[in-house]
Amino acid sequence: MKGLSRDLGQILDRNRVLTDPEDLLAYTNDATHYFKRSMPDAVVLPNTTEEVSRVMEYASKHRIPVTPRGAGSGLSGACTPVHGGIVMDMKRMNRILEIDERNMTAAVEAGVVLSRFHRTVEKMGLFYPPDPQSMSVCTLGGNVATRAGGPRGVKYGTTGNYVLGLEIVLPDGTVINSGGKFVKQTVGYDITRLMTGSEGTLGVITRINLRLIALPPEQKTIVVSCESPEQAAEIVSEIIARGTVPSMLEYLGQAAVGLMNSIISPPLTVDAGAYLLIEVDGTRTQVDYDTEVITNLCREMQPRAVRVIEDEKEAASYWKARSNLYPLLMTLMERVITEDLTVPRNMLPQMVRMVQEVSAATGVGIGMGGHAGDGNIHPTILQFQTSPELDEKSQIAIAELLKKGLELGGTISGEHGIGIHKSEYVAWELGEAQIELMKRIKKAFDPLNIMNPGKIWPEGGE
Amino acid sequence: MLKLADYARVINKCSHCGYCQAACPVYLEDLLESHVARARLNLINAALIEKTIPVTPRVKEIINRCLLCTNCTRTCSSKVPCDEIITAARIELSKEAGAVDSLKKFVMRKVLNQRGLAGVLSKAGAVAQKINITSMEMPTLAAVPFDRQVSGTIEPRGERRARVAYFVGCGTNFLFPDTGNAVVKVLAYNGVEVVIPSGIVCCGIPALAEGDLESAQESVRINIEILAGLDVDAIVTDCTSCGMAFKTKVSKVFPDDDPMQEKIKPVSDKFWEATDFLAHLGLVAQPGELKGRYTYHEPCHRGWSPTVDDAPRRLLASIPGAELTEMEEPGRCCGAAGTFYLEHRELAEKIRSHKLKDIRETGAEKVVTQCPVCRFYLEIQLKDQKVVHPLGYLAGAYGL
Ligand SMILES: Cc1cc2nc3c(=O)[nH]c(=O)nc-3n(C[C@H](O)[C@H](O)[C@H](O)COP(=O)(O)OP(=O)(O)OC[C@H]3O[C@@H](n4cnc5c(N)ncnc54)[C@H](O)[C@@H]3O)c2cc1C
Ligand code: SF4
Ligand code: SF4
Repeated sequence: MKGLSRDLGQILDRNRVLTDPEDLLAYTNDATHYFKRSMPDAVVLPNTTEEVSRVMEYASKHRIPVTPRGAGSGLSGACTPVHGGIVMDMKRMNRILEIDERNMTAAVEAGVVLSRFHRTVEKMGLFYPPDPQSMSVCTLGGNVATRAGGPRGVKYGTTGNYVLGLEIVLPDGTVINSGGKFVKQTVGYDITRLMTGSEGTLGVITRINLRLIALPPEQKTIVVSCESPEQAAEIVSEIIARGTVPSMLEYLGQAAVGLMNSIISPPLTVDAGAYLLIEVDGTRTQVDYDTEVITNLCREMQPRAVRVIEDEKEAASYWKARSNLYPLLMTLMERVITEDLTVPRNMLPQMVRMVQEVSAATGVGIGMGGHAGDGNIHPTILQFQTSPELDEKSQIAIAELLKKGLELGGTISGEHGIGIHKSEYVAWELGEAQIELMKRIKKAFDPLNIMNPGKIWPEGGE
Repeated sequence: MLKLADYARVINKCSHCGYCQAACPVYLEDLLESHVARARLNLINAALIEKTIPVTPRVKEIINRCLLCTNCTRTCSSKVPCDEIITAARIELSKEAGAVDSLKKFVMRKVLNQRGLAGVLSKAGAVAQKINITSMEMPTLAAVPFDRQVSGTIEPRGERRARVAYFVGCGTNFLFPDTGNAVVKVLAYNGVEVVIPSGIVCCGIPALAEGDLESAQESVRINIEILAGLDVDAIVTDCTSCGMAFKTKVSKVFPDDDPMQEKIKPVSDKFWEATDFLAHLGLVAQPGELKGRYTYHEPCHRGWSPTVDDAPRRLLASIPGAELTEMEEPGRCCGAAGTFYLEHRELAEKIRSHKLKDIRETGAEKVVTQCPVCRFYLEIQLKDQKVVHPLGYLAGAYGL
């Protein structure tokens, strides 16, 4: 694009505009190693909302696509610049602007890395629960844009439950503020909610107001070794049905634990059909009580073993291993495609059976591991070797999984979003009328279709 | 072997999770994704393996703007040896005519691979002039290097518990002979017989960082020939980088079927960092009281032993009166990385600034670390704190 680099260099200083192909190569995809990559024409690294706004104004004028980008840790290809144009890397807008202890709220710029935010508020005795497992790198802006969740979702909900307000730069460069520091509001449509999960297709999020809660003083981790995947799923359903709410409730397949053992210390015996990794939190009394209720309930269902982990370091090693599951899988596989199917939690036993059936019927290896407490156990396509035939079979398997998951009353994406990964299946879940409505909303925000075009719908929302 | 083409498959093992962003000191300063391991691997693949883009000055700049600190490799759960791939890329680049500076090559071969005091002094001066640096940032060479001070076999005190060879690295030999003296004394005081082999040269890490494979091979050959012939229970080094070299890198400078491999393996297996060795063996002599507060900086090259990062803490905990105050991030890089700090001065200083702040905030009087380069690079900026090797600290408590 002629003159692009010069023009952008006048909006931001020249060394915050990247146009060398050697640099652009780093912005061609996210954590989906299996997708096609696309080169942007330029990457900009804004420091301020003002700069974001001026870039958007310029892009509107010249009808150049703009793709916002956080850490590029997404699992749906949502920040891949499929139509080239400008990638807006938000990671330099990384100031924690305010932590209001009396109001239990925080204000941050969109590029703040989640784990840094966690550490900062926790030092003050406050708690921001959402914990997508990529938290060491992912940005709060990316979390809002994907409505990210994590193991703590089972008790505390996901990012969407903590966003109070946003500063948004619209595609034409206009800056608006939705919501605020207050915890409730009924004034017109809820733009904050609409932006949450919008995958960069409606505007650029520059600032975020977040709700905080008090940090629970105690935690305890429990590991349950189950006879089979079905039994693990039944235990999860039972825990939920009985009304005890663990702070985390993760399902792990046998193979997953085998891999995680390179981090779990001391390693866990790999002899069970599936595992549950559970955490309870709260005051000492609450933790002791919940631990007893959950361990008793598990034992009633006669799994192989139920163990409460007393040593804090050992417990931490389990959760660290859990957050590394996806990269760990690559030590064995050539390709790993994480699906995000989520079902009502009482349907988990059926879902686990269904996943195994699809795997058997299509001959595609499908593992499971994830946020069972949320009904989101990430069926994961595992390819020991890649080949065009296996790719084709995998596509059939994915379609089957999603179709059957919808039949169980589920959704095709619990937290990763659609991006380019699942756009062809969106209609199955939403139906044409709802998609048409969404497209009209998209048009209202972005009449020129320059905001992250080519995402969510196959044809890009025109 | 460190042959780039052999890493093509391994590069594809990168899951693209992006977790290396949290670990890379260079990325955390620059905040450019092209400087993080995920992108470096992509770039190396495109420019040097698949050759879909030309090898431009920017490609070289990105490959060279790396500390080889191994933080990415240690973080990577897909187990991609990122630092090794970057090293292999530098070796590949050095094949181009004139790529490795001839003066640097001369220093590698003649100075680090042949330890002669006169040579070091004159050549270090020449390098300093050539890259135009102030004397402030150049380490002061010890008046008498360690290998001129102590040699031969040092008898243990009391009953002999083990016999070890002491591999003396360049940092200790030329900059900090006090560390060498402390290592020998503390080991002997705890019943360890210490043999100091003569003829030892550089471990090869500096040459590899320059992409100078031949110099690395030369030094590995010299060292292995000497070390393989020793009748000892273990080989200890005070330097985490030398240890990493022998544990994980030296076998990779030769092809897998090279006859050298047979000699390398047993040497490699016997390597220990001295603090780690002693923590495993256990102290027989109870240290005396040494009142004071210290903090511990974990050197980056620690991935080769699961216990090397904690060993100093364990040993020094036995000193009555010595109080450890942990800094904010003990494992954060100091920015020095061999000669990286000379060639990327501004960046290295930024990386160091966090470390200095963390150290100062502890209120400790002493900083303990195993790496001589970290020691030098931190000490020149610390007025109120002294930096010592953990065994130097322990020697103090023994009154040695
Ligand atoms: C190993 C691994 C584990 C993961 N675990 C989880 C998990 O447990 N739960 C979960 O929910 N996700 C998980 N993810 C997915 C991913 O980390 C999340 O989707 C995360 O929220 C993405 O944040 P990011 O900053 O990397 O955003 P990116 O990947 O850079 O972008 C994601 C989307 O957000 C948009 N976007 C980013 N910033 C902005 C902004 N400021 N304004 C507007 N739009 C923006 C982008 O355009 C894109 O559409 C995991 C990923 C990996 C690699
Ligand atoms: S941590 Fe490893 S697998 Fe993940 S992006 Fe970095 S190099 Fe790739
Ligand atoms: S070795 Fe260190 S500096 Fe180099 S890419 Fe890895 S983390 Fe970054």
